[in-house]
Amino acid sequence: MNNLHIDSTQSTPSIFADAQTGIIEMHGDSYPENSYELFSPVMQWIDDYLAAGECKLVLDLHLLYLNTSSVKAMMDIFDMLEEAHRAKRAVEVNWYYDEQNERVAELAEEFKEDCSFPFMITSLAG
Amino acid sequence: MRGEKQIEQRVEALLCDPAHQDNPLRPSLDELYAEFRGLLHQIDRVTRISDRYQHVSREEKLSLSERYQKQLRQLEKIARISDRYQSMMRDLNEALKEASTRDALTGIGNRRMLMERIKTESGRAERLNRPLTIALLDVDRFKSVNDAHGHEAGDKALVEIAHAIVTSVREYDLCGRWGGEEFMVIMPEINAEEAAIVVERVRHAVMALDIRAGDARLSLSASFGIAERREGENVSETINRADTALFDAKRAGRNCYRIAA
Repeated sequence: MNNLHIDSTQSTPSIFADAQTGIIEMHGDSYPENSYELFSPVMQWIDDYLAAGECKLVLDLHLLYLNTSSVKAMMDIFDMLEEAHRAKRAVEVNWYYDEQNERVAELAEEFKEDCSFPFMITSLAG
Repeated sequence: MRGEKQIEQRVEALLCDPAHQDNPLRPSLDELYAEFRGLLHQIDRVTRISDRYQHVSREEKLSLSERYQKQLRQLEKIARISDRYQSMMRDLNEALKEASTRDALTGIGNRRMLMERIKTESGRAERLNRPLTIALLDVDRFKSVNDAHGHEAGDKALVEIAHAIVTSVREYDLCGRWGGEEFMVIMPEINAEEAAIVVERVRHAVMALDIRAGDARLSLSASFGIAERREGENVSETINRADTALFDAKRAGRNCYRIAA
């Protein structure tokens, strides 16, 4: 099981998935022209990780702006986590936001709505 | 159905009865009954198969409609979230625009805003052949305020002066901080002489400011250079003339205005 490392660009977040710890971190804005191209390796990695063992999967998100296709991609990823959670797999999402920008928290709440797995929305002092 | 069962039983009983062993109708009845049983069996099978098909198709329909509903919900949610992101960006954009055209200290327009507006007003004055006058204001001996009472007192004075300008000009005049202790007032629709009346109002308002720094009262005044836009003149030419007039006012002893030639 390999790690996944995608550097950030002006329009895409940095993504790091650690196979040892089972933690995926995403930092930044996401408004790529092709969200599928950006997120499909992430979804593939999640699929592989879930299939490879029994360990917990954690998503640590530090995302500010998402365009529409990135919103869809995130929802698809949460669907994968939801499915894993229903199959008794330990999964968790931590959505961090700058306390200066409360509206990101409201958006994270929207994402959280249909998720039954642990989904924490945490403010970080600016 | 009850009737059918009864006739089946009767036929079977007749076929089994040895008394009818030699009846000439018996072989034909036997054959007919066997055929009847076969057909019955076939109908049964066809019905079962058909039921199964119906069941599968119903399941398919249910799962399709379930998937459709799910997609629909997802789509609505995506639209909702996306809309909120967009409105967040729009508000951020507004805030940025506000920040880029406001002077952070005094809250009035900054040089960028003044340049934008003077260009617009200049174009309008040229097009409609209307007068337009600008005034540059420079606080007199402002450096000594900073030196004697500190930057905090100086900043406080600038905020108060900005307020004095805003409240002294006409409603449609535009003022902003040109830089340092310099301010600009853009006055559409009036010539230099009419603008001088507005400027005098501002000058008196600045003199009347009661600003304390510790125990001392700051004694403030300002000098003004007024320039009425000439036909065909570009923005920087008008500003330069106002600047020269301001210099003349300073040379003339400060706390006064001069109108550009």
